[in-house]
Amino acid sequence: MPYERILLAKKDGLATLTFNAPDRLNAVSRKMIAEIKLCWEDLAADSAVRAVLLTGSGRGFCAGADLADPDREASATADSGAALEKYFNPVIRLMRALPKPIVSAVNGVAAGVGMSFVLASDIAIAAKSASFLQAFARIGLLPDGGSTWFLPRRVGEQRARALAMLAPQITAQQAKEWGLIWDVVEDGELMKTATELARRLAEGPSMSLACIKEAMNRASGNDLGQQLDVERDFQRALGRSEDFKEGVAAFLGKRQPIFRGK
Amino acid sequence: MDKTPVIAALEGGVLTLLLNRPQRLNAMSPALIEAMNHELARARDDSDIRAVLLTGIGRGFCAGADLAGTGPGDPDADGQPDLGAAMDRLFNPMIRAMRALPKPIVAAVNGVAAGGGANLALACDIVLAARSARFDQAFVRISLMPDLGGTWFLPHTVGDARARALAMLGDSVPAEEAVRMGMAWQVLDDSALMEEAKKLAHRLAAGPTLSYAAIKQAINAAATNTLDQQLDLERDSQRALGRSADFKEGVAAFLAKRPAHFTGR
Repeated sequence: MPYERILLAKKDGLATLTFNAPDRLNAVSRKMIAEIKLCWEDLAADSAVRAVLLTGSGRGFCAGADLADPDREASATADSGAALEKYFNPVIRLMRALPKPIVSAVNGVAAGVGMSFVLASDIAIAAKSASFLQAFARIGLLPDGGSTWFLPRRVGEQRARALAMLAPQITAQQAKEWGLIWDVVEDGELMKTATELARRLAEGPSMSLACIKEAMNRASGNDLGQQLDVERDFQRALGRSEDFKEGVAAFLGKRQPIFRGK
Repeated sequence: MDKTPVIAALEGGVLTLLLNRPQRLNAMSPALIEAMNHELARARDDSDIRAVLLTGIGRGFCAGADLAGTGPGDPDADGQPDLGAAMDRLFNPMIRAMRALPKPIVAAVNGVAAGGGANLALACDIVLAARSARFDQAFVRISLMPDLGGTWFLPHTVGDARARALAMLGDSVPAEEAVRMGMAWQVLDDSALMEEAKKLAHRLAAGPTLSYAAIKQAINAAATNTLDQQLDLERDSQRALGRSADFKEGVAAFLAKRPAHFTGR
């Protein structure tokens, strides 16, 4: 499948998806989001892919929806909900449901729905010079791409409301301190660090990682009693996996495990 | 007797509510809550009001329910106090009205916010605190539990571990610590608090009001929605906002690289 606005590379179980409209700081046009959606569908269906690395080419990670996109219907009766329903929401749902870890390497500004993509990934690492911005209120919208759900869960009610209403641009370091992202590294180290992490996950116990992701997805709606039952059921399944057997043997033999994702 | 337990002033789209029982550190009497509920209803109904600023007169922000005098509890048939009745009639309608108000509420916490006063602050959308302010979940000291939504706001604002400790220990949290925990958005020097809070409230009052209302409603709903449900909510709200005059203006201003002039429509 040839893509024009994104790049997709697959190597040894690791897929790298790169937003590729660097002249627009990777702002998402209708064409780009259609490709992104197709790409996540491909990554979900490809059993050889065991982890995904998400990044942007050029100076930005993703500047959000492209307001200057010629394909964008700009009339007063245009339906902002339709683009969410058709493209953006399916992408966020695909990312969360994907039974494989997603690592974001945030190489520059992540604004609007670009920030939502970061929040929807499992582990986000940002370059020191990267920044984050819930830009929506600046143009009379509300955060989308799941950000009204991710924000209060990451940073609590107070900060979520302030970030959404005041739309301040925050640094990578601030984002880390607030728990919006996992880590910050020097700009020159970003791709090496993120790729190593993603590769480690691609070589990890894939079933365990898939269960962790699904359990965390469910935790936000479960009470503790329900979650204990989820853990029981998932752990039962994992306890019957080959990777569990290998993990225990390697631990007892004081050697490195070799996981196959089975 | 308090003649005016809440002083209200409307200017430039900002309704400022001043808790006015300074001799009691603005502890909440029934009359104060009734006045708050009256003003919140006005803020809801008056389209000239586009943001609310809440603060206290004197040294305190709000010392919680006033335990002196008749106290907040109506006696029940056995002559025993019924705190639940006061919650139902006065306090809970106030908190519900604050969360449901389709306009942003800024709290300027000028001094101690204790007991229900702390949770009154947490019910606001954006909390600014003076450096000398502090937040006390004092309830446990008199053998009660946090109310005015405190048992909900705390875990949703600072996380489970801190919420339990704050509620059970009733320790006083200084303003800077409150900001580190995420209980307040920003700490300011005492002398700068009111000016900055007014500036912020006026900025919000000049902003895209429909967008703020949608943000508030969406974040209110997020706490119990699944991500799936929330994505649908965002779709519906964004569809409505996409048809607003402020969105058209926002995009035009962005593309022309000029500041936007929002009208709240």
